[in-house]
Amino acid sequence: MFLIAESINIMSKTIGPALRERNSRPVQELAVEQIKAGADYLDINIGPARKAGDELMQWAVKVVQEVTDKPLSLDTTNPVAMEAGLKVHKGRALINSISLQPDRLAAELPLVKKYNAEMVGLLWGAEGMPRDAAERGVLIAELMYRAGDAGIGNEEIWVDPIVSPVSVEINQVKACLEFMSMLPDIAPGCKSTVGLSNISNGTPAHLRPYLNRTYLIMLMRYGLYSAIVDIFDAELVKIARGDRPEIVDLVNRMMDGERPALASLTEEEAKYARTVRVLAGESLYSHSWLEI
Amino acid sequence: MALDIPKVAYSGKIREVKLGSGARAVTVGGETAYPFHLFEGAMPNLPVIAMEVYDAPPAEWPEAALEPFAGVTDDPVAWAKKCIDDYGAEMICLQLISTDPNGLNRSAEEAAAVAKKVADAIDVPLIVWGTANHDKDTEVLRRVCEVCQGKSLIIGPVEEGDHKKIGAAAIGYRHTVTASTPIDINLAKQLNILLGNLGVPDELLVMDPTVSGIGYGIEYAYSVMERIRMAALTQQDEKLQLPLICNLGKEVWKCKEVKIPEADAPALGDARKRGILLEAMSATCLLMTGADVLIMRHPEAIRLVRETIAELAGKTK
Repeated sequence: MFLIAESINIMSKTIGPALRERNSRPVQELAVEQIKAGADYLDINIGPARKAGDELMQWAVKVVQEVTDKPLSLDTTNPVAMEAGLKVHKGRALINSISLQPDRLAAELPLVKKYNAEMVGLLWGAEGMPRDAAERGVLIAELMYRAGDAGIGNEEIWVDPIVSPVSVEINQVKACLEFMSMLPDIAPGCKSTVGLSNISNGTPAHLRPYLNRTYLIMLMRYGLYSAIVDIFDAELVKIARGDRPEIVDLVNRMMDGERPALASLTEEEAKYARTVRVLAGESLYSHSWLEI
Repeated sequence: MALDIPKVAYSGKIREVKLGSGARAVTVGGETAYPFHLFEGAMPNLPVIAMEVYDAPPAEWPEAALEPFAGVTDDPVAWAKKCIDDYGAEMICLQLISTDPNGLNRSAEEAAAVAKKVADAIDVPLIVWGTANHDKDTEVLRRVCEVCQGKSLIIGPVEEGDHKKIGAAAIGYRHTVTASTPIDINLAKQLNILLGNLGVPDELLVMDPTVSGIGYGIEYAYSVMERIRMAALTQQDEKLQLPLICNLGKEVWKCKEVKIPEADAPALGDARKRGILLEAMSATCLLMTGADVLIMRHPEAIRLVRETIAELAGKTK
C-alpha cells in the first residue's frame, strides 16, 4: 500500500514556523527523513492558507521537489493555493482533498483534468460529516457522478471516508470500517485513503501508535489503498509493508470473531487484542485501555 | 400466535453501594436493566433524593427556593434537620459554598467543623460537596474526611486533577468517593480506573457525570448517562457499573428562567411553580437515563419526583 507522510504541516509546532518563514532547510530535511522512513508520497499541508496561500504552496512544492522525486499530496482547502501548487509540481500530484461542498467541487474538480492530477475525494457533504456508512455511500455515489461529468475516472479518485477519534464517537469508527468493506462494490475502481492518525487524536502521545497501527490493519483488511500516516512509526511502516504477519493475522482473526484468551498472547499481542476490542466497539475507550 | 415482546439482552449489573451507616443507611444501585425497565430486569433499590443544605446563607436563591427554609438558612444543622423532619429527606447534601476562593473563602478547618456538626446531628447519609476548585477542595475535603472519621460520608466532587489526595484521604477514613467528570464517558471510565488504581475499593465509589437542567444542555448529560448504562449493562464494562449521583438542584435554580420574577416576564407565569416544575421535570429526565441519587432543592419538586418514582416502580396505592 501507499504511505503518505503527514509531517510537513503548518499546524506542527516544529515545522510550522519554517513554512511560515520560508526557511527551506528544515523543510527539506524533514522531507528527506520521511522518505528514508518509507514514504511514497509527502503531504504538504498548509491548512486554509487564507493569506498568500498560493505563494506558500508554490514555494513549498518547489523546495521539497528539489530534494526528492516522490510525488506530493497538496493539502489545503484554498483552491487558489491548490492550483498554484499544481502549476509548479513535477510529476503527478495528488490533490488533497476535494469535498462534496458545492463550491469546492466547482472550483477544484476542473483542476484534476487540467493538471493531470489525482484527487482525494473527501466524503464531507454539503451538510457536513456523514453520520453512518450509508450516508458515506450516498456521498461517494454523488462524487463519482460529478467527477465523471468533469471527465475524471474512478481510478483517479482516492476516497477518504473520514476517520474520527475513538474517544469522540465509536459509532463513526465502526461506520468508517463498514463503509470500507462496501467500497469495492459501490465504487468499482476507486482507490482509498485515510487520515489515519485522527483515530488517536486526544490520546496521550506515547499510546497513539497502538490505535493507529491496529486501525490500519483493520482498514487494510478491507483493501485500503493508501493512508496518510506518521511515517516515523517504524512498526506501522512494517505492518503496511507486510512485515508483521503475525500481528496482522491476530487482528484479522479477531475481526472474524475469534477472541483469544489474553493470557495466551504475548504482552505485545495482548495490546493489539485490547485495541481491537476498543475499535470494534466492544470495550469502551479510556486512556488506560491497554491496561484493563 | 403469541406475541413476543422484544427484550434487551443484559449481561452486566450495577454495583450496589451502601451510603452512610446505621439504621438509616441507604443502598443504591443493583440494577440489572435500564431504568424502570422492570419488565426486563430488576431495580432492587429505587433512586433516592438528597436535599441540599448550604453551609452559608445562599445569596442568590430566588424567593421560591428560600421560602420553604425560612429561618434556618443561617444554620446548617437546623436546616438539615428541617429537611429530614419536615420534608422527609432520606439523604442530605451539604454544599460547602462558603469555601469558594472567589467568595467567602472560609478555611478548611471551619468547613470541616460545620460538616462534623451536621454529621453528628443527623442519622441519614451525608454528601459533602466542595466547590470544584482543585487546590481548595484538596485542602477542605481532606480535612472533612479526617474530622468526620467514622461518619461514612459521600465526598465530592473528586476530579482527575485532585483525585489522588482526596481519594487517599477518603480511603484512609472510609468515606465514599464521588468520581466527577465533565460530561464525557471516556473520561468517566478513565477516572474510575485511576481511582481503582489508587486503591479506592469498589464499594466506596460512585460517579457524578455532571448534569444540567432542562434548557441548559440536559440532553448531553442524558446521552452520556445513557451510554454509561449501555456499556455497564450490555457490554459488561465493569469500570462503569457504578451508581450515578446527579447534583441537579443548583443547576436548575441558577438559570434565568427560574430566577426572573413574574412581573419582569409575565409570559413565563408564576415564578414558584416554574422553578418547581423545571426542577421536577429535569429530575425526571435524569431518572429515565439512570440517576441513582438526585441532589435536589425544593420540597415540592421533590414530592413530585418521589411520586413519579413510585408510579414508575408500580408502588402506588
